[in-house]
Amino acid sequence: MRESFRIALAGNPNCGKTSIFNALTGARQHVGNYPGVTVESKSGSFVLNGMKIELIDLPGVYSLSSSSPEEEVVFQELTKPGIDLILNVIDSTIPQRSLYLTTQLAELHIPMLLAFNMSDDARKKGLKFNISKLEKYFGSPIVQTIGCRENGVRPLLHQLAKSLHELEDHGVPMLSYGNDVDDAIRAVTEKIDALDQNKYSRHYSRFFAIKLLEHDAAAMRIPELQPVAPEVETQIRHLWDVHAIEADTFMADRRYAMLAGACRDAISMSHERRREISDKIDLVMTNRFFSLPLFFLIIYVTFWFTFTLADPLMGYIEDFFAWLNGMVKSVWSPETLPLLRTMLTDGVISGVGGVLVFLPNILFLFFAIAILEDSGYMARAAFVMDGIMRKFGLQGRSFVPLVLGFGCNVPAIMATRTIESERDRTVTILVLPLMSCGARLPIYALIIPAFFAPKYQAFVMWLIYIIGVLVALAAARLLKSTLFKGDGEVYLMELPPYRMPTFKSLVLHMWDRGKMYLQKAGTIILAASILLFLCNTFPRKTSFSQDYDSEIEKIRQEKALDDAGIELLRQSGALDPEIMAKTEEDRFIPSEALEECREEDFPEPVRALLLSSRAAGEEMEQLEKKKQAEMLEYTISGRVGRALEPLFRFIGFDWKLATASIGALAAKEVFVSQLGILYAEGDADETSVPLREHLMKNYTPLQGFCIMLFALLSIPCLATLAVIRRELNSWKMAALEAVALFLFAFLSTAIVYQLGTLFRIGTRFLA
Amino acid sequence: MAGGKCSCGCSGKGKNPEYTVNVNGVTTLADLPVGAKATISKIMPKARGRKKFADVGLVAGAELEMEAHAPFGGLLRVKVLDTSMAIHSEDAANIVIEKEED
Repeated sequence: MRESFRIALAGNPNCGKTSIFNALTGARQHVGNYPGVTVESKSGSFVLNGMKIELIDLPGVYSLSSSSPEEEVVFQELTKPGIDLILNVIDSTIPQRSLYLTTQLAELHIPMLLAFNMSDDARKKGLKFNISKLEKYFGSPIVQTIGCRENGVRPLLHQLAKSLHELEDHGVPMLSYGNDVDDAIRAVTEKIDALDQNKYSRHYSRFFAIKLLEHDAAAMRIPELQPVAPEVETQIRHLWDVHAIEADTFMADRRYAMLAGACRDAISMSHERRREISDKIDLVMTNRFFSLPLFFLIIYVTFWFTFTLADPLMGYIEDFFAWLNGMVKSVWSPETLPLLRTMLTDGVISGVGGVLVFLPNILFLFFAIAILEDSGYMARAAFVMDGIMRKFGLQGRSFVPLVLGFGCNVPAIMATRTIESERDRTVTILVLPLMSCGARLPIYALIIPAFFAPKYQAFVMWLIYIIGVLVALAAARLLKSTLFKGDGEVYLMELPPYRMPTFKSLVLHMWDRGKMYLQKAGTIILAASILLFLCNTFPRKTSFSQDYDSEIEKIRQEKALDDAGIELLRQSGALDPEIMAKTEEDRFIPSEALEECREEDFPEPVRALLLSSRAAGEEMEQLEKKKQAEMLEYTISGRVGRALEPLFRFIGFDWKLATASIGALAAKEVFVSQLGILYAEGDADETSVPLREHLMKNYTPLQGFCIMLFALLSIPCLATLAVIRRELNSWKMAALEAVALFLFAFLSTAIVYQLGTLFRIGTRFLA
Repeated sequence: MAGGKCSCGCSGKGKNPEYTVNVNGVTTLADLPVGAKATISKIMPKARGRKKFADVGLVAGAELEMEAHAPFGGLLRVKVLDTSMAIHSEDAANIVIEKEED
C-alpha cells in the first residue's frame, strides 16, 4: 500500500470547491503562482488513515477547453503524470451546468470521485438524485457533501479512503455523444493508439481524440499528436458534410444533450423553488438607479471598517516597536559597537516596524474583501462599474483595487487578483501606483501650507489627486491600445447567488494575504531598510566645518545648574519628583520636561532659570541638527543627491530635494523626514513649521508644486515595486514600470517647471 | 457598439470594427428586454468566444432570460442553465434568439 497520494480538486467557479478545500486541509495551505501566468496555485495536505495526501486546488473552470489561462493550467495539471485521483466538486443545485465539466474529466480516465456539494440547498430546492444511476453513468463514486458545514465532508473522507485503496480498478464512464460523433472519436482514437507514443500513454487516448476533434488549442499543440491531424480534419469534414455539425461547438452541444438525457433519467425536481432571496436582493443591488449609490456606500463602509478597526491596533504596533527600539538602546550601551547598534535600532527595527504597522490594515482590508467576494457581491460590483471603467480600457473589477490604491498601493495590487482577464489585470497593476497613496499625503501636507494661501490649499490637494487619477486612466487607455492591444478577451462573468460567507474561509483568506505581506516584510523590506540605512549613514563624517560636539559640551558646562538653582527648582515644584531627580543628576533640565512646563506660571527667579535652560537646550539642539545635516550630506545618499543635482535642476530640484527623493524610495513619507534632516530640523514631520519656513525661503510655489507632482508620479516605494514583481511574476515588468514611471514623472515635472519658469507662473507666493 | 468602440478599449482602431445589426426581423440577445425569456436559435459563425459561450451553456437550443442591464451600458445579465451570467452586449448581438411569446 502506498503512503502518499496527490489529489486534484476540480470544479466550476463558485461551486464551493474552496470550502471543501478549506474543510479538508484547514490552515495547512500553500499559495503560490503557476509559472508564467498570473493564475494562483494552491495546495494543501492532510493525513487520512495514515496516508499522506496532497490536495491541489485547481482554478475553477467551466470546461477543459484551454480558452483561458485558468483552463490552460487545469489542462496541463491534469494531463501531466502524478495525479492519483480527481476530486470533482459539483454544485448540486445546478447539476446540469456542473456536470458539463465532469463529462470531460471522466474522459481523462483518471480515477475520480464526485462530490455533490451544497446538497442541503439542492434538497431545499426539491432536487432528488438517483445516485447509483449517476455513479454508473460517470464511472465514479458520488458522495453528497455540505462544504460549509463542519461535518459536511465526513462522508467524503470515508469514500476517499475507500477509493484510494481501489485506484487500480476504477469504473469506466459510459458516455455516448451520438453515433456519428462516437464513430469519429473512435476513428481518431485508433490512430492515436497506433502511434504508440509513451508520453501520454497513461491517459485514455479517447480524451485526446475528443480534444483534437474540438480543435482544442492545448491538445493541438502537443507534438506527439501531430501525426493524427489529417485524420482529425477528415473526420471533422465528414461530420460537417454528412451531419451538418458545426466543428467548434458540436462537442458542447452533444455534452448538453447527453446531460439533458442523464438528468431526465437520474435527477428529478419535485417543485420549482428558485433562488428567490438572492434574486430579490439583486433587484435592489443591480438596479439601474440604486446600484451605483449602493456600491459607493458599500465601498465606503468597507474602508471605514478597515481603517477604524485597524487604527488602534496600528497604534499598538507602533508603540511596541518604539518600546523595542528604546529597550534595545537602553540595554545596549552606545559605547559598544555603536554602528551595529544604530543599524539594528534605527535601521532594522524602525524599518520593519514601519512595514508591520500596516499589517492590521492589510488583514482587515482582506477580511472585508473576502466578505464581499464570498458573499457574491464583488461580481455585482464589477457588473455595475463595468460600463464606466470600460471607457478607460479597464473593467468593472479594476475599480475596487484602484480605489484601495488611495490607501496603500501594496494591498491594492494584491487585490487585483479578482480580475480574471490577465491583460486587464496587468494594466490595472501597472497604473495603480499613480493612485496617490496615503504615504504621499505627508509630502502634500508639508508643501501645500508652505506655498499656497488657505483658500487655494484644498484645491491644490484635490488637483494633485485628480492628476493622479487622470494620468492613471489615460495610461490605462494608452497601454490597452498599444502594448496590451488585441481582441479583448470575451467577457463572461458568473453572478453567483448570494451566500453567507463562512467565518473559517474569511479567516483563511485573510491569513493568506497577511502571510504574503509578512514574508515580504521579512525579506525585501528588511533588505531595503538596511540598504537605505547604510546609504544614509556611510561614509561617516569625522571632521566637521565646526566642532559641534565640543561646542555642545561647552554650552552644557556653562549653563549647568548650580546647587542654588537646583534648590530653587525643587522648592518651586515646577518638575515632577522623578524628573527632578534626573535634573539633579544631569545638572540639566531634560528638554521634554521643559516643553511641558509653562514658565509664566512661576515667579521671577524660577522663570528666568527655566527660560535660560530652554534657550541653552535649543542652542544645543540647533547644533546637533546642523551636525546631522552635515553628516547626511557626506553620506552616499547625500553624494548621490549632489551628483544628480545637475539633472534634477531641470525639474527645479536642488541636491537636498534629490536626496530626499532617493529616501522616498523606501517609503514615500521618508521624503519629509529626510528633508527635515537636510534642513537641520532634525526628525521633522509634515506639521513642522520651521521646515516649512525653510522651504518658503528656498523654493517658489512652482517648485513646491513640482515636488508634489514628482512625488505623485515617480517610482513608487520599494514595497510596491516588490509586490508588482510578485504579482506579475516578472522582474522585467517591475523594472520597466520603475523606469517608465521615473521618465514620465521627470518629463512631466520638467515641462511644468520649465513652462512655469518661462511664463513666471507660481514664482511668487500666491496670496 | 456606440462609436465603434470595442470592449478592449482600442476604439476599434486595431481592426475593422464589426457591426451586427438587427435586419429582417432577426432578434439578438442584445435586443431582449429585461424580464423576457427566449431560446437561442443560432450563434453567429464568426462570433468570437463561441466556444467559451458554449462552455457556459450558451448554445443553440438553450433557454435564457434577460435579468438586467448594467448602468452605463455594456453588460447584460442573462440567466442560462439556472445561473446568472454577465456578458457584453456586443457579444450578445452575435446570439440570435427566438423570443418566447408570453
